This record gives sequence, structure tokens and C-alpha cells, in this order.
Amino acid sequence: MGQMGFFTDTTLCIGCKACEVACKQWNQLPDDGFRLTGMSFDNTGQLGASTWRHVAFIERPEALPGQGSPLDGAQLADGAFSWLMMSDVCKHCERAGCLEACPTGAILRTEFGSIYVQPDVCNGCGYCVTACPFGVIDRRTDDGRAWKCTLCYDRLKEDLVPACAKACPTASIQFGEIGELKERARQRVDHLHERGVGQAYLYGADAANQPGTEGLHAFFLLCDVPEKYNLPPDPVVPTKKLGESWRAMAWGVAGLAALAVGSVLSARSGP
Amino acid sequence: MMRRPDEQARRPDEEVRRPGEEVRETIPPVDGRNIDPEVGALMGEGALQRVRDVNAPPHGEASWIGPPPSDVPDTPVPTYYGVPALKEPVWKGYIPGYFYVGGVSGACAALGAAAELMDGRAMASLSRRCHLVAAGGSIGSAALLIADLGRPARFLNMLRVFRPSSPMNVGTWILSAFGACAGLAALPSIVPVPRTVRRMADVASVGAGIFGLPLTAYTGVLLAGSAVPLWQGARRVMPILFACSAAASAASLLDLFPARGRASVAVHRFGAAAKVAEVALTVALERQVAAVPRVAAPLRTGVTGGLWRAAQGLLAASLVTSLIPGWHKRLRIFGALLGTAGAVALRFALLDGGRRSARDPVATFEQQRAGRGAREVPELESPRRHPESERSGAAASGEGGFELTDRGQHA
Repeated sequence: MGQMGFFTDTTLCIGCKACEVACKQWNQLPDDGFRLTGMSFDNTGQLGASTWRHVAFIERPEALPGQGSPLDGAQLADGAFSWLMMSDVCKHCERAGCLEACPTGAILRTEFGSIYVQPDVCNGCGYCVTACPFGVIDRRTDDGRAWKCTLCYDRLKEDLVPACAKACPTASIQFGEIGELKERARQRVDHLHERGVGQAYLYGADAANQPGTEGLHAFFLLCDVPEKYNLPPDPVVPTKKLGESWRAMAWGVAGLAALAVGSVLSARSGP
Repeated sequence: MMRRPDEQARRPDEEVRRPGEEVRETIPPVDGRNIDPEVGALMGEGALQRVRDVNAPPHGEASWIGPPPSDVPDTPVPTYYGVPALKEPVWKGYIPGYFYVGGVSGACAALGAAAELMDGRAMASLSRRCHLVAAGGSIGSAALLIADLGRPARFLNMLRVFRPSSPMNVGTWILSAFGACAGLAALPSIVPVPRTVRRMADVASVGAGIFGLPLTAYTGVLLAGSAVPLWQGARRVMPILFACSAAASAASLLDLFPARGRASVAVHRFGAAAKVAEVALTVALERQVAAVPRVAAPLRTGVTGGLWRAAQGLLAASLVTSLIPGWHKRLRIFGALLGTAGAVALRFALLDGGRRSARDPVATFEQQRAGRGAREVPELESPRRHPESERSGAAASGEGGFELTDRGQHA
């Protein structure tokens, strides 16, 4: 099986939320309640236990080349406005924080390279929730277990494309073999630069691009700083820094042992 | 799922019955899926997700829907409507409670083993008390950990793998080994046992002391192994702080029932030295975290800030009582109470502080912009600029990609 993933080209996203709906329908996820957030057209808010796709809407008070109809000379709000829309999803990191933190082995990497939570093993300890540098995986309170995007494991087993990519009407969500997607993504960036969209860049495409995660299996083409899309600028899998903590623990343990022995010995020999 | 037309035409309270079919008494579950199990099968990847309350906030109590949280004032750092970039820890009060109970029992076992090995005869009562605290604490620890799980019945799944990359998994193995040793070590103090068992208990007491040492400190590694900015910032200090604080708490607990003699002197010295280190390490932790001021905000403002300062004050006061020379029984008990309260407050402040820290996207972003994300990992040499934009020359024009060190983009 090849390593599969998503390339999400945000310049093509029109914010239709078909991916959100397709994901909910196919995976038979419960709704999250119907609330208005006041955040542009985003009434979903964030990814969560029962929300595995989330479309972000950013109203930018500056122009983005290519938006509007340049041929007619028409521009959005006198050229001082542009939309950023992004369909967010689990990144299926090459070094996955959730997977490395999971104490039960409930989280594993599949033959497609995706990260999968086994609902029949997860005991709801909540450690993966704190370990994800993207705030993706979450524990559902009334279910008690952690849930996230499965990269439509059941569909991949049947040679089907994940529901969100299938439903996307503009090819903003592209599914395929990772190497092929990266090549396509680089060509797309070059193409956009030629067309004057110099802001376009790839987020998390490989280890050189995002060393903290060693690359994402679901990477993005963005046109502004990652923070605007609620993506961390320099995410890191917590385990990469854990050596320092284990070393500190060794000092703590040695100190405690010395303290216990020392206090007993000093009391024996002292007054 | 669509109902068949003939069913739709019926009144909803009318029973649907065909020849040979059971009378249908159940109504479709209200689980936010709108799937009639009679018509559509629940087979999706998320179909097993249990829904008790459709109207519950989607992210539990940590729900973020509505106006931005007050923790996010207007800042030049862009955020997505102030929505947290991380999911906040889902742990309840059981976990800081466990940090205290597990720490105390681990440190007690270590002190008890040292007393038994070095000065067994004179300190028999101390090592006996230590064994009882360790055994009781290990049971309490397991109970607290199980209570915090989303699926408590599956606690033993923790032991179906050994995974060194997960401090929680390693910790569960440590606690299991510790519990077995501590239980056996305490057995002769509870029931009369034959001599062979007594000898095994002596060996187990050493085992409990050995496993008790990492039990006090691994919890600091556990918190550090998270994406929470506060805990990541404190990752070099927390394990040592937890070990020292466990020792100080154990001494405080033993001092609640003070006795005179050599054992008491040992407990007193054990506690006093640990308290000095504990207070110093809280200061060190705050300084280390404050390298990025926004990350230290939970320890300096609001309720968690108050709790943190209260913990520091209580621990310092307890230290002062330990340094007063001479034997004053009431003072000992007073100091022990202060130390216990301080230790509990310290753990709750760190946990709630982490929760607030995760909720603040500016803390997450600023920490990483300040070079304390992946760039802090020694073996990584993070590229300063995205290679794609460099390749096309857009970087030179200052348009493409983003610069990790470029704070100007925030303005």
C-alpha cells in the first residue's frame, strides 16, 4: 500500500463546507449542535471529537491577487479585501504526537500511512489530547474516548477516495499518493507565483519544511502566516523534547535517593 | 435517511406493523445523527460514538463558541478569532490529586527503604509507617487514575503494551511494580505472616523504594510530554520539582503525627532539605517559563496565578517552621499542614495553568515564534524560510512564505 494523504490547496477553497457534510454523513458522526459563532461563515469553530473536517473563513482587509475578476477590472471591495478559506483536518503527521503519547497502543499507523484510533482499545486517558501540537484529537465527554479523522480507513480499504476529497467540488482537497501530491503541490506553488500570487507557500509538506513533525500526510498551500488559519508556525512533536525531561527526572531521582539515605545516616550518627 | 413514503404518510404515533413483524416499540435514538436504525445501518467509522446529550457543547466544558475568551486581549499576534490552537487537557481534579498521592507514597517508600536498610532497629516504627503510607497511596493512586479515565473499565489496556515514548505508559508500569512491592512490604505491618513472607516483604520494601523514586518524578515528564506551552516551557524543571515536592509532602504527612527520637530527626532533615529545593525550584520554574512572558501568564494572573503564589507562600512558610530549632510539637503539626496545603495547591496551579495556557492561542504562537518550537530541538536545524518560496525567488522579494524570526509580520 502506498503512503496516502491530502493536499489541501486553500486558494481553490470556496467555503462550501461540502467536505464537512460528507465527512459527517459517511462516518455517521453526531452533529455538534447548531450554534452561530459570529466568526464569519464559520459556525463549526474547530476540529473536535465529532468534527473531523472544519472549514475556516478569514476575512482579510487586504487584496490577494487572483481574487475578484481581474479581466473585468472588478475587485472585491476596491481591492482592500480578500477571502482566505481553508478546510482543516487531522494532519496524520510523520511523527505523530498522539501516537507516541498513547499509553494503550490504541493509536496506530495504518498501511496507508494514516494515524488511526481504535475505538475498541482507547480507554479515554486523554493524553493524546494534550500531545497533539495542532489541537486536532479530542475526547468526547459523553463517549469517553478520543476521536479524530481516520482518513476514511473503511473507504481506502475498498479503493475509494475519502469522503471529503470526493465531495470537494473545486479540487481544493486532493487525495493521493504522498510523493505525487508533493510534486503536484510544488508545481501549483510555482504556477501561482508566476501568476502573481507570490504569497503562496506550502505548509508541512516535508521534513525540511516542518522539522518538528517531519512532514504532514495532510499538508496545505497557504497564502498568509499560519497563525491566521489557526495553524502553529513551528509545531513540534512533544516527544522530540522529552529527552531533556527524562534527564531532569534522572537528576531528581538521584537527588531524592541521596536525600533519603543522607537524612537517615545523619540522624543515626548525629545528636 | 429517508423513510419509505407509506410510512411518512402515517401519523407518528401510529404503530408500523407488517405481517410477521414484531411490534416496533423503540423510537429512533436522538443522537444527533438522524438515522433511523430500522432503515439505515450504523456502520460508519464514527457510528460507535456514544451520544448521551445532543445539546452538550461539542468540546466538553472546554467549548469555545462565542466571544473570544478574556485571556486573549487585542494583540499584534494574529489568531483565528482567538480560537485556541490546542485542545485543552481533559483531566479532572483526580490527576493533580494523583500527583500528590502518588508522589507522597513514592517518597515515603524511598525513605522507608532507606530507614530499614541503614538503621532498621531504631527506625522500625518509621519504616512501618512509610510502608503503610506507600501501600495505601498506591491503591489510592490507582483509584484516582481509573476515576479520571473516559472508559474506566478499560484501565488495564494501559498494560497491553510497553511504550517508552509515552511517559503515561511508562508511569503505569512503574506504578504497577511499585504497588505490588509496596503492598507486599506493608503486609507484615497489617497481618501476622510467616517468616518467609516477612523476608520477602523486606526485599519488597527495597523494591518499593526503588520504584518509588521514579514514581515521584515521572509525572513531571508526563506533563512535559505535551504541546501545552506552559508545560513545555517548564519541561527541564518540572520532573525535579515534582521529586522534591514529593519528598517535602511525604515529610509533611509523617510530621502530622510527630514523634520524638532518631526517626523524627531523619524525617525532619528529609523534609527541610526537600522544602528548600521545592521553594527554589518553583522560582526556577517560573523564571524558565517566563522566557516567553505570555507563556508564564497563567502563573502570574487570575485564579491560577493566585493559587501558584499561595502555593509558594505556603511552602515557604512551612520551610520557615522547619528551620526553627528545637522540638515544638504544635509547630511541627502546623508546618506539616502548611506543607501539605502548599503541595496540593502547587499541583492544582500547574494543572489549571496548563489548561489556561492551552486555551491561549497567543501563548502557543509566541512560544514558537520565539524559537521555542521545533527550533529548540538540538538535533534539528530548522530552515529559516520555507524552501518552496526560496526556490521560486519569492523570498527575495519578501512576499512568499513566512519568516519565523520576522516579528514585523504581526504588526
